[in-house]
This record gives sequence, structure tokens and C-alpha cells, in this order.
Amino acid sequence: MLLPTSTPWSTDEALGTYLERRGVSRRDFVTFCGEMAAILGLSASMAPRVLKALEAVKRPPVVWLSLQECTGCTESILRTAEPTIGDLLLETISLDFQENLMAAAGHAAEKALHDAMEANKGKYVLVVTGSVPLEEDGIYLTIAGRTAKTILEEAAAGAAHVIAVGACAHWGNVQAANPNPTGAVGVNQIVKDKPVVNIAGCPPIADVITATIVHVLTFGRVPELDSQGRPKFAYGARIHDQCPRRANYDAGQFVEAFDDEAARKGYCLYHVGCKGPATFSPCPIFMWNTRTSWPIGAGHPCIGCTEVGFWDTMTPFYGRLPNIAGMSVEKTADTIGALAVAGTAVGIAGHAALTAAGRLKARKELPQHPQGPPSSGGPNPSSVS
Amino acid sequence: MTSPTVPERLVIEPPVTPDAPPTRILQHPVPDATGRYMWVYLWQAPLRAMHWIAAIAILALIVSGFWIGRPFFLPNAQTTGSYATQWARLLHFAAAYLLAATAIVRVYWLIAGNRFERLPALFPLRSRDWRNMIKQILYYSFIRREEDTPKYVGHNPFQQLFYTSLYAAALVMVVTGFALYGLATPDGLIFGMFNWVNELLGMQMVRFIHHVTTWYFVIFPITHVYFAMRSDVTEHGGGISSIISGGKFVEASHRYEDNP
Repeated sequence: MLLPTSTPWSTDEALGTYLERRGVSRRDFVTFCGEMAAILGLSASMAPRVLKALEAVKRPPVVWLSLQECTGCTESILRTAEPTIGDLLLETISLDFQENLMAAAGHAAEKALHDAMEANKGKYVLVVTGSVPLEEDGIYLTIAGRTAKTILEEAAAGAAHVIAVGACAHWGNVQAANPNPTGAVGVNQIVKDKPVVNIAGCPPIADVITATIVHVLTFGRVPELDSQGRPKFAYGARIHDQCPRRANYDAGQFVEAFDDEAARKGYCLYHVGCKGPATFSPCPIFMWNTRTSWPIGAGHPCIGCTEVGFWDTMTPFYGRLPNIAGMSVEKTADTIGALAVAGTAVGIAGHAALTAAGRLKARKELPQHPQGPPSSGGPNPSSVS
Repeated sequence: MTSPTVPERLVIEPPVTPDAPPTRILQHPVPDATGRYMWVYLWQAPLRAMHWIAAIAILALIVSGFWIGRPFFLPNAQTTGSYATQWARLLHFAAAYLLAATAIVRVYWLIAGNRFERLPALFPLRSRDWRNMIKQILYYSFIRREEDTPKYVGHNPFQQLFYTSLYAAALVMVVTGFALYGLATPDGLIFGMFNWVNELLGMQMVRFIHHVTTWYFVIFPITHVYFAMRSDVTEHGGGISSIISGGKFVEASHRYEDNP
């Protein structure tokens, strides 16, 4: 899917006809629709509806903006072992304007963007990868002399749906990590007048992008979103609750170091900093590279890349709990807690010793009680029992 | 011997004097005293039950919580079919619900309780109480003598702040705890009620706060038990027995700050 194909999906052609022309068998297409229905969490009876809708769908106009990003999201989509129908769908729809993939450059590219937006005003799907820098009036990213903010605002104004792909477009990602020198923000900080679908992750899984677009094409609206704007079908459960190593967690079998016996046996990575308990993502189910593997499957703890602010909130990546700002990294929560308990114990022991010493001194100085010594003593028997 | 006049507004159930026959409820002998003593009913049954249930729940929560925070590696887990982490979580969640239940009772008792248990008793409200607290701190620092330090039947201002701080810490624990607990079922009621905490602070920060606040629940009982014992030994306050029997003996002749 790297290059513009010599047999493009023409504007009035139905997707079914186009796929047939590209040599995709009906069986494969039906299978693809079934997969998409499953990913979207639709019942099996909905698969024919997805099939019917997709079959008849005309080529949707898509504008794809690449802003402050590393193009890793595009890479994640491209690097599949064998092109699937999903790839094909992404390929064909992303060719209106995708800076990494399009043949045009320079003025021709700018013209292609404006032509695509003008021709399909109010109808196109806007896909954004990359964050928007706002510091210094946004000069940290300008394309053709215009800032990313201006470009995005213009593109979003005429869009029917806005899909933010990747952690950069979601909330800013590594460039927005403290101290965020370029003032990078996500798409939903700029586009406020329409819902922004956030395909979270650094990079996100291609299937989630495909399935979201399939949902838009089939039902004409975006899928159900969570409070962060992420599609619930993909980000509706924690990695921890879907993890194939959960049984090891339950049993108390943990990796303590990356070269120990437990690591070889594939035990739970909780102790070496896995953020699966704080991360909502479909990684354990969808996986990467045509369902080949994923971080925890490869023995590495999850770093929580689908969550907002993960560079700041999920670090240290190899520790369970955050470090305390302004203190050395060794000062973890438990060090502070243990020190506080030790301080309390020492303080109380000292206080008790002083109390006892004071009482002994007072007892010696006191005259004996007329009816014998008081049962527990005390500095002033008349004020106590 | 002085012939004291019993303050009328002090709740006395029943007044006990050296020449009065011992009551049936209190089998232990009344101390041989120089003044006139009376028994004050401080902590009613629901409050005492709440205290001891909460104490047990907190102990269970601390132990299971530290296990969840850093579960021990069980080398034979694979062959023994261990379910260790999940048992710890079960204990933790069960104890958490128990503590939350006692909290509900306590909140109700802030309204329904007697004047030592109601909401105003949780805070030093009068400026006089704040001045007394300074005297109390001086007394605990061995600077002021006990007999010059103002006395309270219920909690003194220093105790009020200390005990109320535990309620505040418990509130932090309940809110952060249920926020983390809800994550497993994102369609559930708990998630809906408490997920705003995760969104406000970030899940890892919530986890950190929940973890570090646990240490307060380790520090608190150490301090609490020490001062309770010290008070009973040096001041003969009867505080420990009051949380078991509900009341304690106070000198009828003494003017107590919280008996206006």
C-alpha cells in the first residue's frame, strides 16, 4: 500500500465492486466484515449489515493531516506482514491527502489538500496524526507558512468527523511531557465544536483505526466513546483484566528481574513496573503486526501509552509507583512511610522514657500517702485517684 | 474532704460516690478517692462497635494492602495452585466494604450521637479550645504540669484534631481505593461514581496517594495506643475502659472544659 495504486477506487464506485476489481474474493470480504463486527463488539447478526453497508459505500473523502509527530502511527499501519482488506481500505481512503504517502509535493500537495477540502466541504472525514504546538504563536510547526493550529482549524471546520490517531493527536505525547517546550496539545484542545475520536496509543493498533472508520462508514456516526473520547469497543477494559499473564498475577508468580527464571517462564511483570493495571487498551486481544505479538507478550512491561500524560504519570516505566518530585529516585513512597513510622516510634519511645523519668522523680519527692502509697503513683495524688 | 456540688448539666448515669453501693453494671470497685466521682457515659454502643470493627478492618487492609502493593514471590505457586494475590485482594476489598459500612454508621452517628459523638465534637470550635490546645501541647512537651492543664471529659482539642485527621485520611483512602477498585469494571456503578478521581489525578497518582496514605494508618495506631495508655497510667483518665464499657469516672468537683 506504499504507493498510489494504478487502479484507484474511483469516486462513484461502490467498495464491493472496487475490491472485486482488486482481486479480493467475496469470502475474504465477508470474513473481513465479520472481523470488524467482532472488533466493534457488534453481535454476529450485525455482520451482514456491516457487509451490506460497506459493499455499497462510495469512496469516502478523507483528509489526513500529519502535524507534530514522528510518522510512527503511519508506520504502525503500514507494517503489516500481509496487506489485509483493512489495509486496503485505509490505503484507498487515505490517498486524497496523506503527506507521507501521496505522490504530490510542494504547491501541488497544498493544492490537493485544498481541492479535497473544498470539493467535500462538510462531508469528509478528517484524520489527524501529531500534536499542535501553541507556544510562540505556534511557530514550532508551520507547513507552507501556516501554523499547525491554523491548518487544523481550517480542516476541522469542514469535516464531518474528526479522528485523532495516536497519542500526539490525543493529548500531545512526548513533546507535551513536562516541561512541554513547544506547548503541544492534542486535537481536542483545538477542535471543540465537534466530537473528536481519539485512537489512543503510541502507536495505536491499525485494527482500531480501521474498525473506527468502518463504523463511521457503516452507521454514519462515530462509535461510542469513553470520557477521554476513545472508542469503547477498543479502550473499554484494562490490559490487566485481559492479560494472558493475569493467572500468574493471581497466583503470586512474578518476574523480579528481566533475566530470572520467572521471566523465562513468562510470569507477571507487575514488579518490574507493568502499567497494565492503569491502562485501558485492547493490546492483549488485537496485538500488533497481524496479531503476531505485543509488549507484554514479548516480556516487556506495559508503559501505559494509551493514557493521557503517560510520560509523566506512568514513569518510572520499570517501577510500580511514581517517584516524588524534588527527591532522589530512591525516595519511594515506602521509604518515606517507613521513615515516618520509625520517626514516630522513636519519638514515642523518647516521650515514654521522659514521662517515666518524670514520674519516678515526682514519686521520690512526694511524701508518702497517709493511707499508704497510691496504687499507681502520680505527681499530685489530690488531683488523681 | 470538700462537699462538691455536682454540675447539673453533666450527664451522670449513675452518680457514684464512695458511700453509695456499687452499681450492678460496674462490677469493678470504685477507686478510693478523695473527691466525689461520677460515671459519665461517653461512647454509645454503635460508636464502640464501629471503633473495634474499624480497627480490625484497618489492620486487615494494611496487611493485605501492602501485599497487593508488593506481592511476595511464591516459588512453589505453580505446583501448589496458589491463589495468593487474589486472596489478598478479596480480603482487602471485603475489609474495605466493612470499613465503608462503619463510615456510614459513623456519619449517621455524627447527627444521632450524644454530644461527645456529634459533629461539633470533632473540632475545637471555641477560641478557648485553641488556647487550651497550646497548653495541652506544652503539657505533652513536659513544659506544663498536668494539674495546670485544662481537662476535658471527652476528647481534648489536640485529640479532636488527631482523631479527625484519621477520618480525613480514611476519606482519602475510601475515595482513592474505590476509584482504583472500579477500574476493573468500567461499566459498573463504582467506576461511574469514582472515576472522576482517576481523571483528575491520573491513575498512577491515585495509586501513589492510596499507597502512601496507608503509612498514616500505621503511624496512627502506634501514637493512638501510646497516648491512650500514657493517659490512663499518668492521668488515670480511664480512656481505654471507656471504649470498652462506654463510660469513665470523672471527678465531680473538677471543672471540665467541655462541660459548659
